[in-house]
Amino acid sequence: MSAAVSMQAAIEAKRISKRYGKVVALEDVDFEAYPGEIVAVIGDNGAGKSTLIKILSGAVIPDSGSMAIAGQSRSFSGPRDAQRVGIETVYQDLALAPDLDIAANLFLGREPVRKGFFGALDFFDSSAMRLQAEEHLRDFGIKVSKIEQTVDTLSGGQRQAIAVARSVLWGKSVVIMDEPTAALGVAQSSLVLDLMRRVRSKGIAVIFISHNLPHVFETADRIVVLRHGRRVGSLDPKTSTMDQAVSLMTGASVDTAPGGS
Amino acid sequence: MTPSIANTGAERGAAPASRDDRRLALWTAMLRVGLLGIIVVLFIVFSITAQGFLSAQNIENNARQMAVVGILAIGETFVIITAGIDLSVGSLLGFGGILAAISLSNDLPISLTIAFVLAAGLAVGLLNGALIRYGALPPFIVTLGMLGILRGLTQILGNGQQVAFDVPRFVNFASDSFLRVPNLFWILLAAGIVCGIFLQFTRRGRYAYAVGSNVESARRAGVNVGATLLTVYAISGVLAALGGLLITARQGQGDPNAGTGYELDAIAAAVLGGASLFGARGTIAGTFLGVLLVQIMTNGLNLLNFDPQVARMLEGALIIAFVFADQHRKRLAAAA
Repeated sequence: MSAAVSMQAAIEAKRISKRYGKVVALEDVDFEAYPGEIVAVIGDNGAGKSTLIKILSGAVIPDSGSMAIAGQSRSFSGPRDAQRVGIETVYQDLALAPDLDIAANLFLGREPVRKGFFGALDFFDSSAMRLQAEEHLRDFGIKVSKIEQTVDTLSGGQRQAIAVARSVLWGKSVVIMDEPTAALGVAQSSLVLDLMRRVRSKGIAVIFISHNLPHVFETADRIVVLRHGRRVGSLDPKTSTMDQAVSLMTGASVDTAPGGS
Repeated sequence: MTPSIANTGAERGAAPASRDDRRLALWTAMLRVGLLGIIVVLFIVFSITAQGFLSAQNIENNARQMAVVGILAIGETFVIITAGIDLSVGSLLGFGGILAAISLSNDLPISLTIAFVLAAGLAVGLLNGALIRYGALPPFIVTLGMLGILRGLTQILGNGQQVAFDVPRFVNFASDSFLRVPNLFWILLAAGIVCGIFLQFTRRGRYAYAVGSNVESARRAGVNVGATLLTVYAISGVLAALGGLLITARQGQGDPNAGTGYELDAIAAAVLGGASLFGARGTIAGTFLGVLLVQIMTNGLNLLNFDPQVARMLEGALIIAFVFADQHRKRLAAAA
């Protein structure tokens, strides 16, 4: 679904600016993502994509501008603040612990403790973790041979899937992904893109950065284009072409009508 | 399109994979059986060949001797799992032992002495952990420095000499048994069980593996890395100080040289037991078997009148062989 006007944005940023010394990373950028839509952020190197998603995920604090999550005004002082309101980020390096098993990775840092006396002693509930992990992976169609497998025995695509599954397990409203297919081959990329669609179908807003325009056009409902720290347009992938996207990214042609926003 | 992330095996050739799979299974099985297998074989061989190996006296002696290094090795296992190393445990054991002797020779009660020595171990462990985490220093450097500082301090405190005290109740504890098992061994068992449960079943224990696996990933997942590191070095420190109490009780005096080189024995036991110096691997049960192997081998060869250095050489060779086998298994696993 593209930009349903009646709906409240899952995340909305207004007039965001960020400077690093004299370098302007972002200037007056508006950004919004609605529940159940996939928004791609594209732009040339140095356009401000990374800074924007770091601000949305709480990792970078903007110099000015405001943010609202599900209509509530918020400001983040760190990624934990963003996580608390249901925003999860899948980093490019995935941030998995390779020597721990799949269930342990899905719950790392947020393990449920057992009830009663043992819970008070910080004992985690491994059977609940395993059951929930299996159910969650099944829910997203992620197949692994054993939930007790350590992550370092998985393929690149499977690892990406586990990282996405973890973000969806905790990110109830927004999942942000940094170059989710950059390290993957053709077959594994399409699995991850399909997984993103399934996340969308749960009513979660998916935001991703990619340099891969075919992936962007295949998956996104809306494309936000940044150039030199400014938002220069918003494209509907159904009605626009990759050439138009490239023109906006590079500034080669200014007469491309920005659609959607 | 119905995606199945699992079926990527089709991308690899099936035939070579199955040969690798079989080799991997073989190596994994060998490693799993290896340590226990060697212990059983040695036990049988020494039972037949070494006079007195099975005598109650000898078994009790072995149980007493392995207790002190075993307790150090348990602490070392925690640290190694976080991809760290604690070289200060031998010196800290000597330091704790001298503190205990001085305290007892000044007629302080046993309970106060124990509390005081364990608190000193806790303080040293926390200092190690804090320097590593908040000072951003390598564990090797911090604990190597602490090794020197504590040994020097121990020599100064003991004036370079044995510290005598006369508290029979304290000394008798180390020679007494309960249910025919030496008290020292009970302490090792208790420490092992409590620490093993903590490591396998609590969140803080799980975080030791997470930190050892990938510090940055653990931090981003919300694991408190600082608290985890402080905890493991504190455990190592407290256990080393406990070892100091036990060695002083066993020897009946404070020895400023006690524990010299024990850090290497502790590390060796943990590594033989499957702990990886690269982090995230290791168990208390494995470490216990590592200590047991070294103890049985040393004792058996000793009874057979071998030069004691032969046991040391064999221990060294075993460590290299075990780590080689583990690395080889890892390479096979990565290829599979």
